[in-house]
Amino acid sequence: MIVKPERKPLLRVEGLRLHYRGERGIVRAVDDVGFEVARNQALVVLGESGCGKSSLVRALFRVLPRNVETCTGKVWFDGDDVMAWREEEFRRRIRGVRMALVMQAAMNALNPVVRVGEQVAEPLRLHLGWGRERARERAAEVFRLVGIPADFLRRYPFELSGGMRQRAVLAMALVTEPDLVVLDEPTSALDVLTQANIMNLLKRIKAKTKTSFILITHDIATSSEVADRVALMYAGQIVELNSADKFFRQPSHPYAKALLASVPRLRDGVRPESIPGRPPNLIEEVAGCRFAARCPVRFEMCGRMPEMSAVAGDGQVRCWLYDA
Amino acid sequence: MPDNSQAPVGAAPGSGIWRNLRRLALFTVFRLVALFATVVVGVYLAIFIANMGGMVDQLREAQIRAETAEAVRAEDAFRDLTPLERNQVIEERVQRERARLRLDEPFVVRSIDYLRQAISLNLGRAEYMHSDSGSHRVYSIIGERLPATLLLFGAANLLVFTVSLWLALWLSRNYGGRLDRLVVALAPTSAAPGWFYGIFLILLFSFVLPLLPAGGMVSAPVPETAFGYARSVLRHMALPLLAMFVSSIFVSVYSWRTFFLIYSSEDYVEMARAKGLPPRLIERRYILRPTLPPILTSFALMLIGLWGGAIILEQVFNWPGLGTLVFQAVGHRDTPVIIGTVVIFAYLLAATVFVLDILYAILDPRVRLTGGGR
Repeated sequence: MIVKPERKPLLRVEGLRLHYRGERGIVRAVDDVGFEVARNQALVVLGESGCGKSSLVRALFRVLPRNVETCTGKVWFDGDDVMAWREEEFRRRIRGVRMALVMQAAMNALNPVVRVGEQVAEPLRLHLGWGRERARERAAEVFRLVGIPADFLRRYPFELSGGMRQRAVLAMALVTEPDLVVLDEPTSALDVLTQANIMNLLKRIKAKTKTSFILITHDIATSSEVADRVALMYAGQIVELNSADKFFRQPSHPYAKALLASVPRLRDGVRPESIPGRPPNLIEEVAGCRFAARCPVRFEMCGRMPEMSAVAGDGQVRCWLYDA
Repeated sequence: MPDNSQAPVGAAPGSGIWRNLRRLALFTVFRLVALFATVVVGVYLAIFIANMGGMVDQLREAQIRAETAEAVRAEDAFRDLTPLERNQVIEERVQRERARLRLDEPFVVRSIDYLRQAISLNLGRAEYMHSDSGSHRVYSIIGERLPATLLLFGAANLLVFTVSLWLALWLSRNYGGRLDRLVVALAPTSAAPGWFYGIFLILLFSFVLPLLPAGGMVSAPVPETAFGYARSVLRHMALPLLAMFVSSIFVSVYSWRTFFLIYSSEDYVEMARAKGLPPRLIERRYILRPTLPPILTSFALMLIGLWGGAIILEQVFNWPGLGTLVFQAVGHRDTPVIIGTVVIFAYLLAATVFVLDILYAILDPRVRLTGGGR
C-alpha cells in the first residue's frame, strides 16, 4: 500500500553533498542527493556497498567524521530548515528526539560497560528530562514492543545475543517516539531468520505508530517487504526514486533494471545476471552519467551529467533516456 | 544467551549471586597464589644473580682469608709462632668465620634459606653500606633514601600523567589542529632520556644563567625553618623535574591522544552522538568510562615505577634517592641491599597487580561476570 505523501513532507532533502578529504583527493560520497519522506512512510535507500548510503546517514544526522571537506545542502525537518541550525540546537531538538538512528554494526553500537536499560533510557532522561523511574518504565515498555523481556534491561550488552542487541538498539531509537527512524543496514550482520524477525517487527511498529522510516540497505529482497518508496543510489547519487510497487515491478533506470535482474530467485530457474564492470571510484571526477561505463544502452548524450526527470508513477530518474 | 541453566541443583535460591561470589573467591585465591609464585621466582632470581650464582662467596672467602691473615700477623700474641703454626691459626680462624657465615654449606642450600628470609621480609643487615645515621639494617638504609625518590619521581610522574591525559583528551577532540601537529612532531624528542636533558638544563640554568642549584636535594647549611627547607628542596627539584617532564611529556601526550582517537571512533561513540548526547557526557560515559581500566593500569604501573627512581638521573643531579643507592650497592657487591630493594619492589608490584585485578572486576562487567575472560 502506498501512503500518499502529505502536502508538507516530514523530511525533505535537497542538493545534499558530503565530500571527504581522502589521501588521493576529494571523495564525493554524497553528491546532489534529494528526496522526501512523508509521515508514516518507509523509504528504502538501496545501493551497493560504497555508493554513499552510510555517508548519507551521517550527513542527515550531522555526525561527521573529521575529514569532511564539504557538507552542504538543504534539509527540512517538519518544515524547519535544520541544516541552518547551530550544532547545539540540532543536537537538542532533532537527534535522538525527533530523528533516531539504528546503526550499522549494531553489535558494537552499545557501550560495553553500561547496562542496556540505562542506554535505552538515556535519551529520555537527557532530552525529555524524565526521572529515573519513569524512564525505566518506558524503556521496559519499548523492550516488550521489540520483543525483549523487560528484565534484560539490567543486563550488559555482552550478555545479549546478536539479534537481541539489534532489537535493543532499535528500542533505543524508538524510546522517545521519534517522527523518523533511520536504519542503516540494520540486518546485514544477522542470519536470515533473525532478519525476517526484525523486518516483521518494523512492519508491526510502522502499522502501530505514526513513525516514518528510512531503511538503508543493499538487500533488495528484504527491503521490498517494508518499502513504500525506493531511492536507488549509485556512486553518491540517487539515480531512481519511485514508489516501491513501480520500482520493483517496472524499474526505469538501466542500473535499476540490471540490479533487479541480478537478484537470485529461489525457484523459477532464472539465472541471476551480474553487472559487468564496477562502480566508479568516488575520487575521480566523472564528467557524464556515472553509470555510463557499465550501461548496456548508453549513447552519446551520456557524456553529460543527466538531471532527474519525471517518470510514470510519481518517480524520478537520472537518465537521458527519460529526458523530456 | 549466556547459559544460566548450569547452576548446580541444590544451590541456594538466588544462586546466581552465590555462584558469582564463589567464582569471585576462587578467582581471588587463584590470583593470590599465582602472584605469590611470581614474587618467589622473581626474588629467587634476584638472589641468584646478586650472588652471581655463588661466585660472590668465593670473593668473600678470599677477602676473609686476607683480612684474617692481616689480623693474625698484626697481633702481638702470635709474634713468636713459626710460620707453619701461624698458618694453622689463620686457617682455624678462617674456618670458624666460614662456619659462622655458613659459607661451608653449598650455595643452593643457603640460597633457599636466603629466599625464606627475603620472602618473610627479614631483610637483614648490609655487608658494607650503612645509613647516614650509621645503621647497617637494610630497612634503615632503604627507608632513608625512599622519601627523596618518592618526592622527586612522584611529583614528576603525576605531573606528566595528569597533564598528558588532559591534553590528550583535548587534542583528540581537536585532532589535526596546529597544536596536535606540533605534539606529533615533537614526540621523537622523548627518545632521549631525562638525564640527557638534565645535563643541558644544568648547563643552562646553573652555569650560563645561575638561577638554580646544579644538584643535591637541599642547600647547605640546611635552612632552619620548615618553609625555608621546603623552598630549598623545591629549588633543587626544579631542574630534575623539568628534565623528566620534557623527556616524557610529548610521547605521553601523543600516545594517549592516539589511544583516545581510537576509542572515540568506536561505534557506540558514534551512536551516542547520533542519540544527541552532549559532548561532555559522551566524553565521560562513552570514552573515559570504557577506557578506565587501561588508564588505571598505566597509572598504577607508573606509581610502582616510582620505586627505585632512575639511576642515571639521580646520579646526574646528585639526588640522594634509591637509584643512587642501588648503583652504590651494585658497586660494593652489597647483596643484602640489592636483594632488599628487589624484594620490596616485587611485593609492591604483586600488590598493585592484585589491586588492579580487583578494580578491573569492579569496573568491567565483562570481567566481573565471566570470571576474568577465562
